[in-house]
Amino acid sequence: MSNIKLIAVHFIKTVWKGKVIVPIYLVWLALVLYAVFTGYATYTRQNEIRKEYQARARQSWEANPDKHPHRMAHFGSFAFRVKHPLSMFDNGMESYTGNAVYLEAHKQNTANYSEASFSTGLLRFGELSLAMLLQTLLPLILFFLGFNAVAQQRENATLKILVSQGATFKQIIWGNSIGLFAVAVAFLLPVLLSTLTGIALQSTTTADAGLFIRCAVIGAGAIIFLWVVSVLAIVISAVSSTGRSALLSLLGMWLMMAIVLPKTLQAIGSYVYPAPGKIQFQAAVEADILQQGDSHNPDDVHFKKLKDSVLRANKVDSIQQLPFNYSGYIMQEGERMSAQVYNRHLQQLHTIYDRQNRVSYNAAFIDPFIGFKNITMAFSGTGFSAFLSFQQQAEKYRYDLAQTMNVLQMKYISNKKLSSTDKPYSIDKSHWTSFPDFRHRYQSVNEIIQQQWVALVALAAWLLLSVILIHFTAAKATVI
Amino acid sequence: MYKLAFYNFIRSRSVWIALVLFFAAGMVSILIGRQFLLKQEAAIQSVTRSQQEHIGRNVKYIKNEFGLLMYYLKFAYINKPAPIAALAIGQQDVNSNIQALTVRGLEAQRYDTDLYNPYNLMTGNFDLSFVITCLFPLLIIAFNFNVLSREKEGGTWPLVKMQSLQPMKFILQKLSIRCIVVSALLLSLLILAKLIVGIPVNAAFGAYAIVAFLYVLVWFAISFLLIVLHKSTSVNALLLLSAWVLLCLLVPGLINNYVTARYAVPEAYSTLIKQRDGYHTKWDKDKDSTLQAFFHEYPEYRNYVWNKPSFNYLWFYAMQHMGDAEAREHSRAMHQQLRQRSRVSATAGLFFPATHAQLQFANIAQTGMPQHLQYLDSTVHFHERLRRYFYPKIFGDSAVDSEHWAQHVPVYFHAACNVQWIQLVLPLLFTGIVLFGAGVVLFKRNPA
Repeated sequence: MSNIKLIAVHFIKTVWKGKVIVPIYLVWLALVLYAVFTGYATYTRQNEIRKEYQARARQSWEANPDKHPHRMAHFGSFAFRVKHPLSMFDNGMESYTGNAVYLEAHKQNTANYSEASFSTGLLRFGELSLAMLLQTLLPLILFFLGFNAVAQQRENATLKILVSQGATFKQIIWGNSIGLFAVAVAFLLPVLLSTLTGIALQSTTTADAGLFIRCAVIGAGAIIFLWVVSVLAIVISAVSSTGRSALLSLLGMWLMMAIVLPKTLQAIGSYVYPAPGKIQFQAAVEADILQQGDSHNPDDVHFKKLKDSVLRANKVDSIQQLPFNYSGYIMQEGERMSAQVYNRHLQQLHTIYDRQNRVSYNAAFIDPFIGFKNITMAFSGTGFSAFLSFQQQAEKYRYDLAQTMNVLQMKYISNKKLSSTDKPYSIDKSHWTSFPDFRHRYQSVNEIIQQQWVALVALAAWLLLSVILIHFTAAKATVI
Repeated sequence: MYKLAFYNFIRSRSVWIALVLFFAAGMVSILIGRQFLLKQEAAIQSVTRSQQEHIGRNVKYIKNEFGLLMYYLKFAYINKPAPIAALAIGQQDVNSNIQALTVRGLEAQRYDTDLYNPYNLMTGNFDLSFVITCLFPLLIIAFNFNVLSREKEGGTWPLVKMQSLQPMKFILQKLSIRCIVVSALLLSLLILAKLIVGIPVNAAFGAYAIVAFLYVLVWFAISFLLIVLHKSTSVNALLLLSAWVLLCLLVPGLINNYVTARYAVPEAYSTLIKQRDGYHTKWDKDKDSTLQAFFHEYPEYRNYVWNKPSFNYLWFYAMQHMGDAEAREHSRAMHQQLRQRSRVSATAGLFFPATHAQLQFANIAQTGMPQHLQYLDSTVHFHERLRRYFYPKIFGDSAVDSEHWAQHVPVYFHAACNVQWIQLVLPLLFTGIVLFGAGVVLFKRNPA
């Protein structure tokens, strides 16, 4: 046991005495500061803007005078996506998802104005977030600091001396791994500290943000990930005959795991499970809606049948005698049917996306970098499911708005046709204020865990594997 | 002697493994680009087909109300990617390049995005421009990092110095051999790309190739500069890789974070709200004021009847247009902000070879942000033409049957393609020469 401690301390001392650690750490601090400052500025400014415009949109909604409720259904509303405080830590895929969506009757609009649509190709190199520094840069630094640990001792034959003095390979690998991991924690600390400071500076974090548990999961994930990376570095160093070959293997591994695999796996996913574009999607929705019945078509069978059954059920023989507004009823029915069709198609589309993403999710078992990234994104509220959740909330609000206006029309608007000289039907404007504004809610942590259990299990598997790897390598390693 | 050194280099097994790997990566990237192009092509064909069906179906149902028909009809305006877009997908996967527009308010339509999986966008495209800007430097580093240090660490350097009159010539010779090999790889990938994707050999393709070669040369210059610092093999590796991390990973992120934090685009949201309010509030306002404002811009429609029945399509489309008119100022401010973002990124990118190359590849392939802004701007003209064509028919309530509907096929946007050679070439050339010159000076001072 004391051997492990000795070796770990020796590793840390060697790193500390080396010429590179101080400049690397200073650059690291500068990058962390830059990432947290820009992340904080973007987060606060964006949420400020979005909340302001959500309020402005609401103001003009409430400023509407008395009018026909269907005009209000067309007036519509907006949903602005509120950023989660942890997006300061990890932008995830947020830059690629729309931030605002116009909500109106009869029509599901896309969420537009993503950061990416406002950006040049530089965005595609990847953003500089705290999470990116942890996921991509820190492993590279650790590989640099660790590649020589055992290999150099083998090269200059001190390994022989060490083993002959009673140290076992198990102890050597454990000791160096712990030493490298301790260095990794020194790099992790400023990241965690600045994230927590950024969050603490927020005066307006909401209760549903689940900050404590999200931070805990990300922190634990980071610790496991860095441990796995440290072990990989030392194990490769232990099996390489020279420091140079250890460095090359580690760099190759980094390039594969951090850069090439994430890109290619996602490309494979989208190639194997092709998703329709908007035009094909809309054509399919339109075709299905037409098959179900078209409320615009006066000869449509579905709506003719509907009319007959409504008249029969109310024991009347003309629309004028109905106790509610018939065209409001028809629109309610039309909205229900078209939303149903649309949502079914959207569900299918999301299933395809999910299959595409599964390739990456499952790859967490061969590439811990991907798994860790999926965890930080999901728990920072910037992952795929966070966006789906926003879309669903927006669609639900849209549907409720349209149907509330239809119900108001059924209740308060007469069936009698007006002549061109009559004042058009209208209802009191107090109805507008009584319909609540849209409010974006964050996902619950339970939901996220359900969606990202693969990544969590994969990371746990890597932790287990790291221990197995140490023992396996120790058994096979030789002094020369 | 040169020939011998050349054969010596390419006889190495690891060199061949590296070349095969990079060739494979290049081929995969070309195929991914081709796939992208095919998908775009399929979407364009599908919209061309569905536009006819869509018009036909609506014309069948709405036979006698031109204004109502035009509420629904959509007309496609397409920004068709050039074949070379396969080599630099740029922002083309983010920005929708097919707009299906009605004659109603434009501002509510033209920012509509396509449907896509954000995870795909986030991981980015493995296209040839990515392979060249991000991966090729690694190959160059792997070839060069121990060119000098190996001789010194192997103890052969004094021998070289004794036998060769100019040690500098010796290093340059070695570098040039490697440069020929990397250039041959690049050239073969470009030729294959041309054949597989079917890219015409024109100014754009030439510009792409020149940027790629210059970029490769810049990385050789960087290698040369760091090699002649006479550090050990592992320090060389560390330095070169740090240069790669800095230029290909950190600098783009630094610039991008700055632009994102500094230039928020609230104008986008104000455009959105303004256009909604601009149109919808007109329902509650005096018809006359709306129409006078409309006639002010379009006096030619003054003679159509608009004040007879309570609902009239001239009034309706005037209201729609006023939504655009009132949002115009915000929309313009938004575009200005976006241009500003694009300019700042491009200017900052000038100073760093990887960012400059990446932005230029996208510019050449017409898949960058400036080109998308051009396309967005031109939707205004497309929409205007569409409205001016249909307005008289709507306002005069023409017979639906009298229109020759088959002529309304999708319209294509044509970007003005002019390669700005000086802006393209100069930054890379300049960086390359400065780095190389610095290397020569350093070596002359300390040829150890």
